[in-house]
Amino acid sequence: MHALFTGLARFMAILGGIVLSALILLTCVSILGRSLNGILHSDFVMGLAPGLAHWLIDIGIGPVNGDFELVEAGVAFAIFAFIPLCQITGGHASVDIVANTLSRGVNRFLRMVTEVVFALVLILIAWKLADGMLSKKGYGETSFLLQFPVWWAYAASLFGAVVSAIVGIYMAGVRVTEFATGRILVWDGVETDQ
Amino acid sequence: MSALEVGITSFPALMILIFLRVPIGLAMFLVALVGMFIVTDGTTVAFGRLKSETYTTFSSYSLTIVPMFLLMGHFATLGGMSNALFKAAEGWLGHRKGGVAMASIGACAGFGAICGSSLATAATMGRVALPELKQYGYAGGFSTATLAAGGTLGILIPPSVVLVIYAILTEQNIAKLFLAAFIPGLLAALGYVIAISIYVRLYPEAAGTRPRVPYGERLAALVQVWPVLLVFGLVVGGIYLGWFTPTEGAAVGAAGTGLIALVNGGLTRATLVDSFFVTARSTAMIFFIVLGAGFYNGFLALTQVPQELADYVVSQGFSPWLVLTLILIFYLLFGCLMDSLSMILLTIPIFYPVISAMDFGMVNLADLQADAAMEVIRNGVPEGMASDMLAQIKTAIASGAELTRDQMKALDIRMTRGMANRIETEQVAIWFGILVLIVVEVGLITPPVGMNLFIINAMDRKTRMVDTYKAVMFFVGSDLVRVVILVAFPSITLFLLR
Repeated sequence: MHALFTGLARFMAILGGIVLSALILLTCVSILGRSLNGILHSDFVMGLAPGLAHWLIDIGIGPVNGDFELVEAGVAFAIFAFIPLCQITGGHASVDIVANTLSRGVNRFLRMVTEVVFALVLILIAWKLADGMLSKKGYGETSFLLQFPVWWAYAASLFGAVVSAIVGIYMAGVRVTEFATGRILVWDGVETDQ
Repeated sequence: MSALEVGITSFPALMILIFLRVPIGLAMFLVALVGMFIVTDGTTVAFGRLKSETYTTFSSYSLTIVPMFLLMGHFATLGGMSNALFKAAEGWLGHRKGGVAMASIGACAGFGAICGSSLATAATMGRVALPELKQYGYAGGFSTATLAAGGTLGILIPPSVVLVIYAILTEQNIAKLFLAAFIPGLLAALGYVIAISIYVRLYPEAAGTRPRVPYGERLAALVQVWPVLLVFGLVVGGIYLGWFTPTEGAAVGAAGTGLIALVNGGLTRATLVDSFFVTARSTAMIFFIVLGAGFYNGFLALTQVPQELADYVVSQGFSPWLVLTLILIFYLLFGCLMDSLSMILLTIPIFYPVISAMDFGMVNLADLQADAAMEVIRNGVPEGMASDMLAQIKTAIASGAELTRDQMKALDIRMTRGMANRIETEQVAIWFGILVLIVVEVGLITPPVGMNLFIINAMDRKTRMVDTYKAVMFFVGSDLVRVVILVAFPSITLFLLR
């Protein structure tokens, strides 16, 4: 069971990582194209080989059109895809110092409540994102340069948000079981002193 | 309960949740959600915001820098540059008293120039430098403390994730902040080296000796660090010179370090997947805090708390320097408990309006006018200017008085009080950002929850945490001295911008 959900979370993280890498490369290609375009337009190259320069510009040597729209849509997906791994490995930042002084049982209770609430919040986020997607679809809103429907980007993010919610629910289940049985199922470093 | 009261009540509520180990992002999100329910009397407004707020937060073009810088840091680790940096620094410094520790600081500074994260710098350099420090007879606690402190250079020297977040929160120019961080970052490295040399004089047995390295080898080792210089120059220089946006710079940096790692054989499928995992965890953690903080600050703005607080502080007529000092002390204390990003995201929207409403007298209108006027006169007195007008202007400049409208018209310059105020606001924002960056960084190396201390100490099982705590106090002391110097002389931070 845990292996299954960890596998899912890792799969999403890799997917997000690939998208992030693709965006990095896209951005670099765009910068390269922009600089080459600048060089081709320069007096020096235009004077030296105008035919070649015009030809290269015509075949599309230049910045990638609407690159930052792709970056924005892509990175939103990547971040939603990163959440499951953070969730299942207990990677969120928290302050331990006071909780460490409380008893083991109280801590287990707090962890359960926190994780259940976290799952609820992740469900809320996915639900409202779906609402947002539907209203973007309803308005037929498109991006400025590339003219792709904005709801596509929402849909990609929604995929990540739904998986995050699923993993969140699973983790809530884990912490409830831990509280009921008193046995730690998923270690995340916080309970080392217990 | 009025909206303002709900806003004020939200602080203790938030603190209680955070101390009950509720993840900080989640705590802010929850308090904001419930607070908005109360203030707007229902769920409509809060839920309506959520329809687009998660997407717009995560798809922010400027925030894309964060995952890119994180990936860049991991690629830099894989590329073996940490090794090259350490070898070069060791060659030049290693034979001195405490020299291997100084070399570790130097290498951390170099690594900080291509890595925007403190923890990654500490972890990477720890792996390289700890065994060497051991080998040359450096005491355990001294070695771990050195590397924990060195790790903070990862954020203090640009590029820096914390500065990116600060820039976005306060709507400042990222390139200018990076430039302003440069000198204080070098000062930090210098301060740590001084701390080391004091430490080894007080405790001579804490450091061993190491033979001199011939100059030929030193130069050869120095040549090996060229990829670091190239990437740093390209990223920070490119951003500053306007070749590309900060986000594009981060992409170039990530691609560049990735390429170096690929060439050096450090980047394989396994290590790439591993980098994705580490980046994924940190990115998700940071963005969840960003989301929670954004939501919380939206709620606070609804209750007018930041506005009221700024108005109150200004109307009380407190000295700006006193307010600044109190805020910095607050950060130092809270930094012992909370991580730097959460603290900045949580507090900057509250403190920044206060600071920016105060007059630090950093910019003097008469001085700006005098500069502009001298510039004109140096290029030749404008035609048709009466000689008595010129004399009047010169007297005004000499006595430090502001120029009249006619005088400025005669010179054809425009420098109004509004313009001077805008310059002052920007300079204060940048200066305050660098100060905050430093004080929250101190939190990474102060007990009880200094993350860098934990990371480095975990690498060295034989050293007791207490020994690390003791030795790190020298570095904390060096940090405090630096903060005082930078507060007293704002121009150290700002002169590269002027």
